[in-house]
Amino acid sequence: MSWPYDSMQLKVMDDNMLKVAVGEQGPQEEAGRLAKQEDILFKDVLSLQLDFQNILHIDNLWQFENLQKLQLNNNIIERIEGLENLTHLVWLDLSFNNIEAIEGLDTLVNLEDLSLSNNRISKIDSLDALVKLQVLSLGNNQIGNIMNVIYLRQFTCLQTLSLAGNPIAEAEDYKMFIYAYLPDLVYLDFRHIDEQAREVAKIKHQYNIDELKHREAQMQAQLEDEQGQREKLAEHKLAFIEHLDGSFLFESLYAEDMEGNKLSYLPGVGEFLEAYKDKFVIICLNIFEYGLKQQEKRKIELDTFNECMQEAILENQEQGKLKVAKFEERHLQCLNAIREETELSNIEKKLIECSDDINELFNMLMMLEMQLVEQLEETINMFERNITDLVGLFVENVQSLMAQCRDLENHHHEKVLETAINYLEKILKGEMDKDLPDDVRALFVDKDTIVNAVGASHDIHLLKIDNREDELVTGINSWCTHLVDKIHKDEIMRNRKRVKEITQYIGHMQSELDNLECGDIID
Amino acid sequence: MEVLREKVEEEEAAEREEAAEQAEHAEKMERMVRLAEVSKEERILTQDELRDLEKKMMAVEIPIPAERPIINKAIIDVSKLPPSYTTNSPKEEHLLQVADNFSRQYSHLCPDRVPLFLYPLNECEVPKFVSTTLRPTLMPYPELYNWDSCAQFVSDFLTMVPLLDPLKPVVKKKEKVSPKKYAVKPPRDLTSRFEQEQEDKRQQEIQALEKKRLREEEEHLLEAEKSKPDPLHGLRVHSWVLVLAGKREVPECFFIDPLTARSYSTKDDHFLGIESLWNHRNYWVNMQDCWNCCKDLVFDLGDPVRWEYMLLGSDKPYLSLTEDYDEGMDNDDDVEYLGKEDEDKSFDMPPSWVAQIEITPEEFETRCPNGKKVIQYKRAQVEKWAPYLNNNGLVCRLTTYEDLQCTKGLEIKEWYQNREDMLELRHINRTTGLHVDYFKPGHPQALQVHSYKSMLPEMDRVMEFYEMAREDGLIKREETPMTMTEYYGGRSDFLSYRHINFGPRIKKLTQNSAESNPRPMVKITERFSRNPEKPADEDVAERVFLITEERIQLRYHCRDDYITASKREFLRRTEVDSKGNKINMTPDMCISFEVEPMEHTKKLLYQYKTMIHLKNEEKLSRHQAWESELEVLEILKLREEEEAAHTLTISIYDTKRNEKSKEYREAMERVLHEEHLQQVETQLDYLAPFLAQLSPGEKLTRWQAVRLKDECLSDFKQRLIDKANLIQARFEKETQELQKKQQWYQENQVTLSPEDEDLYLSYCSQAMFRIRILEQRLNRHKEMAPLKYLALEEKLYKDPRLVEFLKVFV
Repeated sequence: MSWPYDSMQLKVMDDNMLKVAVGEQGPQEEAGRLAKQEDILFKDVLSLQLDFQNILHIDNLWQFENLQKLQLNNNIIERIEGLENLTHLVWLDLSFNNIEAIEGLDTLVNLEDLSLSNNRISKIDSLDALVKLQVLSLGNNQIGNIMNVIYLRQFTCLQTLSLAGNPIAEAEDYKMFIYAYLPDLVYLDFRHIDEQAREVAKIKHQYNIDELKHREAQMQAQLEDEQGQREKLAEHKLAFIEHLDGSFLFESLYAEDMEGNKLSYLPGVGEFLEAYKDKFVIICLNIFEYGLKQQEKRKIELDTFNECMQEAILENQEQGKLKVAKFEERHLQCLNAIREETELSNIEKKLIECSDDINELFNMLMMLEMQLVEQLEETINMFERNITDLVGLFVENVQSLMAQCRDLENHHHEKVLETAINYLEKILKGEMDKDLPDDVRALFVDKDTIVNAVGASHDIHLLKIDNREDELVTGINSWCTHLVDKIHKDEIMRNRKRVKEITQYIGHMQSELDNLECGDIID
Repeated sequence: MEVLREKVEEEEAAEREEAAEQAEHAEKMERMVRLAEVSKEERILTQDELRDLEKKMMAVEIPIPAERPIINKAIIDVSKLPPSYTTNSPKEEHLLQVADNFSRQYSHLCPDRVPLFLYPLNECEVPKFVSTTLRPTLMPYPELYNWDSCAQFVSDFLTMVPLLDPLKPVVKKKEKVSPKKYAVKPPRDLTSRFEQEQEDKRQQEIQALEKKRLREEEEHLLEAEKSKPDPLHGLRVHSWVLVLAGKREVPECFFIDPLTARSYSTKDDHFLGIESLWNHRNYWVNMQDCWNCCKDLVFDLGDPVRWEYMLLGSDKPYLSLTEDYDEGMDNDDDVEYLGKEDEDKSFDMPPSWVAQIEITPEEFETRCPNGKKVIQYKRAQVEKWAPYLNNNGLVCRLTTYEDLQCTKGLEIKEWYQNREDMLELRHINRTTGLHVDYFKPGHPQALQVHSYKSMLPEMDRVMEFYEMAREDGLIKREETPMTMTEYYGGRSDFLSYRHINFGPRIKKLTQNSAESNPRPMVKITERFSRNPEKPADEDVAERVFLITEERIQLRYHCRDDYITASKREFLRRTEVDSKGNKINMTPDMCISFEVEPMEHTKKLLYQYKTMIHLKNEEKLSRHQAWESELEVLEILKLREEEEAAHTLTISIYDTKRNEKSKEYREAMERVLHEEHLQQVETQLDYLAPFLAQLSPGEKLTRWQAVRLKDECLSDFKQRLIDKANLIQARFEKETQELQKKQQWYQENQVTLSPEDEDLYLSYCSQAMFRIRILEQRLNRHKEMAPLKYLALEEKLYKDPRLVEFLKVFV
């Protein structure tokens, strides 16, 4: 299907071409006149047809943000490209082109109907993003591996598939294979799949399918597992106590501590280490559980706060709506009365009345808003106090637990030091001459070396503990500040929005009245 | 009579209670009917009055099965009654003597008290002892198992007939003292004193009026009682039912008034005293003082000081009743047992002379005599009918009146049953003329409530429909002469409300037919509930088509956190061109207010499209409004037709009325019957001739049975042999004839004409055929005969008449 390039005049997708197409395919008659008058913006176009245009490269489509249907069939396109911005696309026709690989469709998550027939595609691929895909036409391509169809199992919405004209369609087992592997399919190659054939196919491929299903289920389970773990970690992070539900912190103490590891070879130290670890882990777990509890408390606090805020705002809104509704009713009557009134002086009087009414409404609404602002202000301050207290308490308790950790470390350090010095003495006396690794033996040269080594290990440990503590404390504090800031900001935004709404509404009313005035005067 | 000790006691309560326990409802009913209580103060009751009372009792005795619908004694056909009604058995005579003796002793000992109500005359003018008028019967209706529904049934059945003494019982009237008609308004806090004074004055006036009214009412009352309100207080007689505590979870004694089926505590003020009690077993006279009505009475019938019994036999301590009277079967035993122990003094109550009560399902369903009952209340009247009695399905009508004479009706409520149009209740307000029809689910137009003043269209009316029953989700449609309001629910287009204002009808001069001249619509208001799929700014909350002004107003839903909503108004004034189709859209045709101004809505194109869309919508809405009008007409027509036809539905389970199923059933029965007949025909009794030889009524002995069997078998054998012989004989005859013919043929062969030869040949072939057939038959008979014989033998062994005797031999 190669097009004689030379005999054709290649066209470039430029603004002009697009404009012409849009103009031709846009609204007609009166609507068309209006459209022309106003100039159609590309982003308002929903459907675009660009077939038989000898297009080689897809280009310049980035403005059509809201395009839902795009026809590019019967061109000489070689690559799918330039469609990244068309995320609202539902219908895409690229048939009768020279495309060799499926690509560039990763952003089109809303695509339901994709036509790629009569191209040179050899592999079904790169469609993962198209979760809503219902119709897929791949007829007259060069797909040669029947196993490639299994790739389509992930599209649960897929109902219609056409693969006729591909090498695989010539295989004897082609239909049965597809019936069996794509059980949700309704139409294959534009024919309805009848249930009986499907059953037969199912039985035929039972074994393979079961195996496949089993594998898929396993994958699914694994994915879910990972997802669950990720969620859990996220939850822990939210409570700022991630990785504290085990020996992770303890192990990190020794992760970079060469000396400490070396010293653990000393007789007796191993036992201390075990005991130390046990105690350390228990404290970590305490922090962890405490952290979760506190997180829960904070959450409840926040939820209650939000709920109350919402209630207050809603109530205020209701009042406002009521006021507006009442006003509108009265206002409408007023306006009607003015329209029917003939005497100028009366009209003027009524107009003044009306504008007074509007002013009154403005005042009332603003008063309501001010009331609300005050109420919310108070509540927010209270919440701020409480949440800060809560966080402070949490930090305090965590710090005291961390201090326990440090105590343990100090204790351990003393013990190790003592053992080491004893050992050193023994070595110096020549009593102990066991086969220690050389690098460990190197530490036992003199007292300073060993004390320094033990001290270095100790310092590293303390540093790690301090770091973890700092991480936690800064984390929670910044969370708290952010939260409070956000609440304040949101409230300010809300207030501004409301005030803007009110002024806008009042402005509209006023201008309507003014227009009426003008009109009347003209009349 | 020694039987009568001084402390003979009467009780009806025992019987009552036993009824409760035994579930013998009809018995209870009957008992209830016959129980006559004489209120205590009625001392002056003369013998004549007693007769009156008796007569009244007779009158009340309707539920004698045969004469169900008859109320008057005169209508009872005495001749058809069983002899027990017209004569007294010796035992009953004896009992009457005992009763007479008892009565004489009683009047001697208690000369101040009213003579006892012991043996009134029954419908055949025969004196019968009251206890024998009771006959415990268990009826097959679960409704009659408990006292309340049973009493309801009896009260439906009974009709109150005043005693010949034309006074109504005072007691009843007093029950229903009218509640106060006015209530003083709670004082208002913020009123001025002056206003309060004024109010007081007004109140006083009202009070005065009210007092006057009350006085008038009382006068009315007096009038109604024929100005004899009190002289007979406490002298009136009435009979009612006492249920004793103890059995069937009856926690305490109570009274049942048989005419209203209401139960009263024994302490109720309306019951002034008890003269005597009886059940089907005994008769007790109350010896307790009734100065405080029945409040202090002790219903321990085993206490001979309080309750003087008439028959010793049933004299039992109160508590033991629960054990002894558990089952109906016990009664006789008890009496017998006691009789043996105390032969001189006890007397066995003769069995009841009353025929067994039978209530057919029809009668049970009909309930009241003639299926109709009228209950008169103060300012109200209830009429009840049996289902299917009225051909419009009317079963109950409650009429309330403004005045005591029941002349000015206020309200009528009519209950219907089994109507095909599902009409259940019709409420008519006479003063406002408002009719309200209530329907059960299932009306073809899903009507639920229809309230109207007139069936003419375009009048005030409200139709409510069953929700979810209609496809268009219409719930309610209100109409006034100039408007129509419809309420919808659960629609996919979220329409919830449509209000149509009509203008005055324009007279069509050019129109040739008068069939449709709909009122012009002036304004259509439609409201929509929120469509969660659309943003609030694009979700229309209300649209108003001002048809005559050619304006369309839109109001959108309010956004979640806003208090004002977008609005848009389209003027179509300039749109209508000379061509009528071409529209020049100009910016001033659409005035909009947007809460959050958006870019695309500013465009003329958008506005144009919206307007075109709205134009179509307007057409649609007008069409729908027009259809609604048509539908109203249709419903009204349908209602009228239904009212005119008032077809009643018959349940498929109603075997009595369901003609179709009846026919079907009868056909089935007929078929079955015919089949049965056929079977009988085919099964000839092979033993009959032998059995007939035996003398009738004689019982078969084993020997006879064996002989019978043998005879039967030998006879059959003989017949088989005979048959074989017969076939053999025919066979031989045919063969001989053929041989003869053949001989004849050979002799005359030469002289025979061709015709004769043909005849001969055909004869030969036929004869050969016959012979062959006979041969076959013979052979088959020979084969079959032993089998047939064996079969008969086996059959005989299994014959139900012989099986017992032949078992041994098998």
